Amino acid sequence: MVRYITPILATLVGVIMLINAINLPKSNLGNPNGPMYFPLLIAIILIISGIVYFLQEFKARVNDFADFRALRIGKSPAYLLVSLMLMLIYTVLFDRIGFLYSTILFLAGLLFLLNGRKKWMSNIIIAVAFSFVTWYAFGTLLQVSLP
Amino acid sequence: MGIDVQTILDGFFTTIQPMNLFWIALGGFLGTVVGMLPGLGPATAIALLIPITFGMEPTSALILMAAIYYGAMYGGSRSSILLNTPGDGSAIAATFDGYPMAQKGQAGQALAISAIASLIGGLIAVVGFIVLAKPLASFALRFGPAEYFLLMIFTLSAIVALAKGQMVKGFISMCIGLMISTVGIDLQTGVYRFTMGNVHLSEGIDFLVVIIGIYAVGEVLYNFLSINKPVGEKKSVGKIWITKEQWKRSKWPIIRNGPVGFLIGVLPGAGGAIASMLSYSLEKQISKQPEEFGEGAIEGLAAPESSNNAAAVGAFIPMLAMGIPGSGTTAVILGAIVMLGLKPGPLLFENNPDMVWTFVNSMFIGNLFLVILNIALVGILVKILDTPPRVLYPVIMMLAFIGTYTLGYSTVDFLILIVFGFVGLFMKMLNFPVAPLILAVIVGSDMEQNFRMSLISYPNAIGILTASPITIALVIMTIVSLGFPFLSSWLMKRKAGKNNSEAM
Repeated sequence: MVRYITPILATLVGVIMLINAINLPKSNLGNPNGPMYFPLLIAIILIISGIVYFLQEFKARVNDFADFRALRIGKSPAYLLVSLMLMLIYTVLFDRIGFLYSTILFLAGLLFLLNGRKKWMSNIIIAVAFSFVTWYAFGTLLQVSLP
Repeated sequence: MGIDVQTILDGFFTTIQPMNLFWIALGGFLGTVVGMLPGLGPATAIALLIPITFGMEPTSALILMAAIYYGAMYGGSRSSILLNTPGDGSAIAATFDGYPMAQKGQAGQALAISAIASLIGGLIAVVGFIVLAKPLASFALRFGPAEYFLLMIFTLSAIVALAKGQMVKGFISMCIGLMISTVGIDLQTGVYRFTMGNVHLSEGIDFLVVIIGIYAVGEVLYNFLSINKPVGEKKSVGKIWITKEQWKRSKWPIIRNGPVGFLIGVLPGAGGAIASMLSYSLEKQISKQPEEFGEGAIEGLAAPESSNNAAAVGAFIPMLAMGIPGSGTTAVILGAIVMLGLKPGPLLFENNPDMVWTFVNSMFIGNLFLVILNIALVGILVKILDTPPRVLYPVIMMLAFIGTYTLGYSTVDFLILIVFGFVGLFMKMLNFPVAPLILAVIVGSDMEQNFRMSLISYPNAIGILTASPITIALVIMTIVSLGFPFLSSWLMKRKAGKNNSEAM
């Protein structure tokens, strides 16, 4: 099924873009349709590509998605899901508790996820050390202000 | 028009200023380290290290990023030879004979010849750069909006066509990139496009966030899928030098394939991956002992290593002389230097010749530095390969987020980064080529401006296509590049059919 979802999705995105492009507000300056042409062109190419892609997949009838099989076995799906959650939490915490603490938590989270709980000591040391070094490097050496 | 020796010398003296030497060394070292990580290549290395260039002089930034680029190429060969895990496409050919050599206990020789071949290939290409870049820039001065628009079309179609047998996927990838570039306020009319009412999106999506998302976050996530797979056994390196016999065997392949790689690098769309593959099969065809290829033939390692480094240098020509990147990696560099307020293109050679020649000289010195680094410090570098990826990937992830924050000081960009990280992951999983998207994001906005400016001069599409001899040539080149995959597969089938009938 995965084989058909991508081409359908691509075609759908193209159609949405086409509709949105046609409904773009007219410009008061220059050619009133000016803002529309280029998006329209992209949408049409995308729709055509999506349809051709669908037909190709339909004709091929092979199912070769080694990487998707990898998704179903082992810890990979857990890795991806937990990383996604960690990234979203990091995004929320970054503004609230500042760069240093949120980064330590983010890095520690990823390390515990990938490196395992047994190496908790080195995980914590790496997380704190790297966060501190980057914080110092960006804040002081590169003069980028971090919250 | 000759080449002004004085400006080249001036460039040389600017290059050897301590600060610039420091950037070359730093970039070369960091590039080597990231390039050595399995699964990560030059584009990722540059995307990650973009924040360092903020606040730098454009010249120094360009030097630094170029050093990261070829540093990552050297690094990629390390992991290809020692672990059989190429960092990116251009390092794949190095595994064919490099890994067997390491298996046979010749890891030291393999590392040495790879560094030497890269150096010579790079130097040949720098000479090529000096000869070819300025004439090309002068030629590009004749380009108007219509010519530029069609040149971009040609570049995109070439990169799509080269997505081996995946042209449709390449087109979809390109369209996504172009779509991203249309989000935000339209520059000519002030109309808000596809912002979905979001204030942050009205400024457009920062293409650097897209790049970091796809090349850094996406690549790291993709590597999560195979993180538990055991890596190839690493043999001890031994003495880093080659024998006279080995040098005699690889001398000509190195010298032959420097120009080959350089010319392929100059072509839009074709980069180090294609250059090194082509050089490999070329050497195999003309070799007296083709049966040794794949079993650890030293020329089978030397040829692609010379070629891919030469291609990396060649790829800078269209980027600097015309402002059109020919590959994913040069697109990333272009995006970064545009951020610093520099506009590459033909005028760069007129207005900032000192900068161009400083850059050229930095490539000379950088390649020399990397050979020294790779031969003298190989012990330390190999130790880095021992650091488990499960520790390094989280650190890379963190750097990607910090880099993104420094671009716009807003955590809204984090969300965009996450989205494109997963877009990159799924594209890799579904075998979509990433380069067309990256290229389209970078040139998309310029492409639209040129398109609309040419619509003012020429009322319709036919007028744009036939505006000048240059546009006609570009249209023909576009058609040829898109038709080429079909033609070559048809020829292959015909050849196969012929062989079959002969066999009967």
